[in-house]
Amino acid sequence: MSSEWILDKNHLSYWLRQLRKEADLIGPLRKPGGDIVFESIERIHEIFLDLPALIPGPKEFLFPQYEKLFNKRDSKVEELSIKRKRVVFGVRSCDVSAVRLLDRFFLDRFEDPFYSNRRANTLLISIVCNNPEPTCFCAGIGTGPYLREDYDIQLTDLGERYLVQAASKQGIRAIKAYSFIFSKPTRTDYDDQFEVQLSAMARFQKRISLERVRSMIITGKVRDTFWEKVATRCFECGGCVYECPLCTCFTVIDRVFGDEIERARIWDACLFKGFTRLAGGVLPNERMVMRTKRWYYHKLVHYPEVIGSFGCVGCGRCTIVCPAKIDMATVAIKIKALADNEEKIIEQKE
Amino acid sequence: MLKVLTVCPYCGCGCGLYLHVEEGRIIGVSPSRNHPVNRGTLCIKGWNCYEFIQHPDRLRTPLIRKNGTLKEATWEEALEYTARRLQEIISLYGNDSIGVLGSAKCTNEENYLIMKFTRAVLGTNNIDHCARLCHSSTVGGLAAAFGSGAMTNSISEIRDARVIFVIGSNTTEQHPMIAMHMLEAVDKGATLIVADPRKTKIAEFASIHLRHRSGTDVALLMGIMNVILGERLVDREFVMRRTENLEIFENRLREFTPDRVEKLTGVPASDIRKVARVYAAEKRSMLFYAMGITQHITGVDNVKALANLVMLTGHIGLPMSGLNPLRGQNNVQGACDMGVLPNVYTGYQKVTDPKARQKFERAWRRRLPEKPGLTVVEMTEAILDGKLKAMYIMGENPLLSDPDLNQVVKAFEKLQFLIVQDIFPNETIEFADVVFPAASFAEKNGTFTNTERRVQLIRKAIPPPGDAKADWQIITELSTAMGYPMQYRDTYEIMEEIALLTPSYGGILHYRLEEGYGLQWPCPDRKHPGTPYLHRKKFARGLGTFLTVDFKLPEEMPDDNYPLILTTGRTYFHYHTGTMCRRTTVLEREEPEPFVEINPEDAEALEIRDRSRVKISSRRGSITLMAIVTERVPKGIVFVPFHFREAAANILTSAALDPEVKIPEYKVSAVKIEPEETEKILKTEIKAFRTR
Ligand code: SF4
Ligand code: SF4
Ligand code: SF4
Repeated sequence: MSSEWILDKNHLSYWLRQLRKEADLIGPLRKPGGDIVFESIERIHEIFLDLPALIPGPKEFLFPQYEKLFNKRDSKVEELSIKRKRVVFGVRSCDVSAVRLLDRFFLDRFEDPFYSNRRANTLLISIVCNNPEPTCFCAGIGTGPYLREDYDIQLTDLGERYLVQAASKQGIRAIKAYSFIFSKPTRTDYDDQFEVQLSAMARFQKRISLERVRSMIITGKVRDTFWEKVATRCFECGGCVYECPLCTCFTVIDRVFGDEIERARIWDACLFKGFTRLAGGVLPNERMVMRTKRWYYHKLVHYPEVIGSFGCVGCGRCTIVCPAKIDMATVAIKIKALADNEEKIIEQKE
Repeated sequence: MLKVLTVCPYCGCGCGLYLHVEEGRIIGVSPSRNHPVNRGTLCIKGWNCYEFIQHPDRLRTPLIRKNGTLKEATWEEALEYTARRLQEIISLYGNDSIGVLGSAKCTNEENYLIMKFTRAVLGTNNIDHCARLCHSSTVGGLAAAFGSGAMTNSISEIRDARVIFVIGSNTTEQHPMIAMHMLEAVDKGATLIVADPRKTKIAEFASIHLRHRSGTDVALLMGIMNVILGERLVDREFVMRRTENLEIFENRLREFTPDRVEKLTGVPASDIRKVARVYAAEKRSMLFYAMGITQHITGVDNVKALANLVMLTGHIGLPMSGLNPLRGQNNVQGACDMGVLPNVYTGYQKVTDPKARQKFERAWRRRLPEKPGLTVVEMTEAILDGKLKAMYIMGENPLLSDPDLNQVVKAFEKLQFLIVQDIFPNETIEFADVVFPAASFAEKNGTFTNTERRVQLIRKAIPPPGDAKADWQIITELSTAMGYPMQYRDTYEIMEEIALLTPSYGGILHYRLEEGYGLQWPCPDRKHPGTPYLHRKKFARGLGTFLTVDFKLPEEMPDDNYPLILTTGRTYFHYHTGTMCRRTTVLEREEPEPFVEINPEDAEALEIRDRSRVKISSRRGSITLMAIVTERVPKGIVFVPFHFREAAANILTSAALDPEVKIPEYKVSAVKIEPEETEKILKTEIKAFRTR
């Protein structure tokens, strides 16, 4: 179920201003030096629309790096779930795909109240990427550059107007309340939308088939020596896990401030040897290669088995944050090269 | 949700990062994508640098020691008391009875102020900081050879270098984001040469790894230069036009034939020849070094030898060609630039130079002392001799970082008055009479200067906890209480004063730093775009000079009683005395325990199992910790990180000093190791169990 409208670009700021009356409006802003980051928006005209993939992705609004869970004072426990309403404007399609998978992790079976509260109060407005970055590879996974379903609100830039699609109840409400600035799309609008989609697909520099990589791994064609080489380079920074919109490693800490105890959860990373430290100081994954391999296996083998899709949406963030250049895309391309090589050898034999 | 651009508070790379602020609290960190150093990446310390800021242990109120315990006090009481005690001590024992330590963790503005306070208000040149313990050899050695001691190139040049020669630096672990650029160069086909006795991580990417004996760096470098001379690889043109005194140095050099050097260092002569050829042949050669070069009694000689090597080959004064000391702390470069040293004012203007002194006297309207003051380690001695009576320590922890700790403890017990200004209670506070709670990097404005001389803004994201104040505010208030009012609206006014008095910072002002990612000094005027690489066309001192050096053995060589060499250093997960990182969950969990690395051969001979407890002793004391049996260290050498108070490596180290700049020899001390008697432990444990 999706409802569609046309919004004149001149009316975008009016619409956002109305949304801001009920929620904290967050969007991309350009900082001195040229970085673009998500921030609360003071002046709507400063929103930076021609944006690259942002570091960090919108995961930080649903599952922040440091999140207070509860306070305890004089045996009274106060839960600190954040229920503030938020509109995050300008997220990417891959990010929305990632949030869908995060939902399954945090909400299926056991519902995480902290995530759940934040999620229920966050409206994501995504923009179809008609200018993917060199690091992006969502097209091959089907998680972008545009979405067919399961978004809140999706905008497609058609020049001087946006095609606006809403799929969630929240999303539809955010449009219907201001219906006088939206109009019905016409045939030409859909033609233009189709053209944008085609041209977006054509602009990807990276074409990666994770399926191919997966089959190489599960058929045992990627040797440990390969993983050794990858792992030796790792700086153990944790960046890939922290910034991956799908990674959910965390740890829980308690802090004592005088007579008040605070419990918080903070981002952690399975790539650290201490992540699986056992009593007595035993480190079952002391060798880096075991941890590197585990990250890739989790994303490429276990995820498809358990959830039915890859643990990667092709956002390319790990490519940006990895100082060692052993990110998903680079490693996938290397594994594919192994596969191609193998085929060549077989051909030669024949 | 706000994001505040600032600079990582850990190492000298100076990575740009954003602090995420929600409801007045910092809830996360993200890297800056366009920053020239980190370009969208951070190391584990950077990613986790938000956590300690809001740690419950933060100091929140001033403390005054009354009847042996530290009691909470108001700022008025603490400042008034401190001012009175300092004045008493000055009138009883004279100005030089007070010593001050600035901090490589604080901003330039704060270091400038504490320097000004020491010289103008306390009237002494007894000011120093931990750079003494890491790079004073660089400052001394390079100043003599080139006229200025700092990294000559920029970090962003590294990825286009063709030869990268790293000596005595564990770059991957200590300057991760610089290592990232090196790795990129290697990926693009550059040759990496590493000289380090330990098999460090960076060595895994090297085409040639020279594992010379600890303390034989001069010999190794002389050997390399000998080959360059012998095989006519010298850049004659460069030597003729830009340097002097090669003739004198040449004679000494001829004595160091590769075969002789092989005997001294343990490095095969063929490797020495190979390195000489590879390094000399490529113009885009960058040389890097860190503590493995400087922390020796021959620290200055090591640095001079390196300077000679780059001059001999003409590998300096160009982009991607130069000599690059990697500075450890986030602002150790800045603290040195600000003159937090006993012999210079800002920008290395000498206190003994009457012209410079007069300039500062006129600006500050006070008479200034003429004689250079005491260095860090000399201060400890002076306390023991009864000459130094009081100390003011800002953001440093000498009770874990200084060599021969048992002596340091004795000294601090003898002090009449000690002021400690810090963000956390540390080992030094146990001796303090007054404690001033300070603001962390996220709670104040100011600038840090990274290892490539880039002066960058740090911005206030949240207010300090409790009554804590920014260091610069505390100094101004103390100074005012002592009758020398200091008034600044914010740190930008202090920066303007620095620019006025310091030629190399002349054009560095906060409003210029706001757009973008800082300026690299020298930046003499407001229009100047900053200097990416030094010594272009001309050395800072005019002609570069070849300084003759000779090989000397480390002060304390292994013998029958203490047969192993101890070298100390850092680990990737921790930083110095651990005040910040040991209060960070992930970092502490990664490396929660002190350890000693020992080679399997030595371990077997001594019957030491991996992960068993051992006792390690030197002539000065002993510590007990866990043994890690690993090939990373060669036979005969053991390595202990110095972060851990539970087993402080510096109880073992010797306070043998380089004669010129007084840097202690942290990298070589003689020790012995023995398995801890399990019997003994068992017995005490059983006893403890019974009493429970
Ligand atoms: S693995 Fe990398 S590319 Fe894939 S979703 Fe995570 S961060 Fe994005
Ligand atoms: S980002 Fe790269 S270097 Fe950092 S932990 Fe991940 S794989 Fe390792
Ligand atoms: S490399 Fe240094 S400056 Fe950069 S994040 Fe790590 S500790 Fe901070």
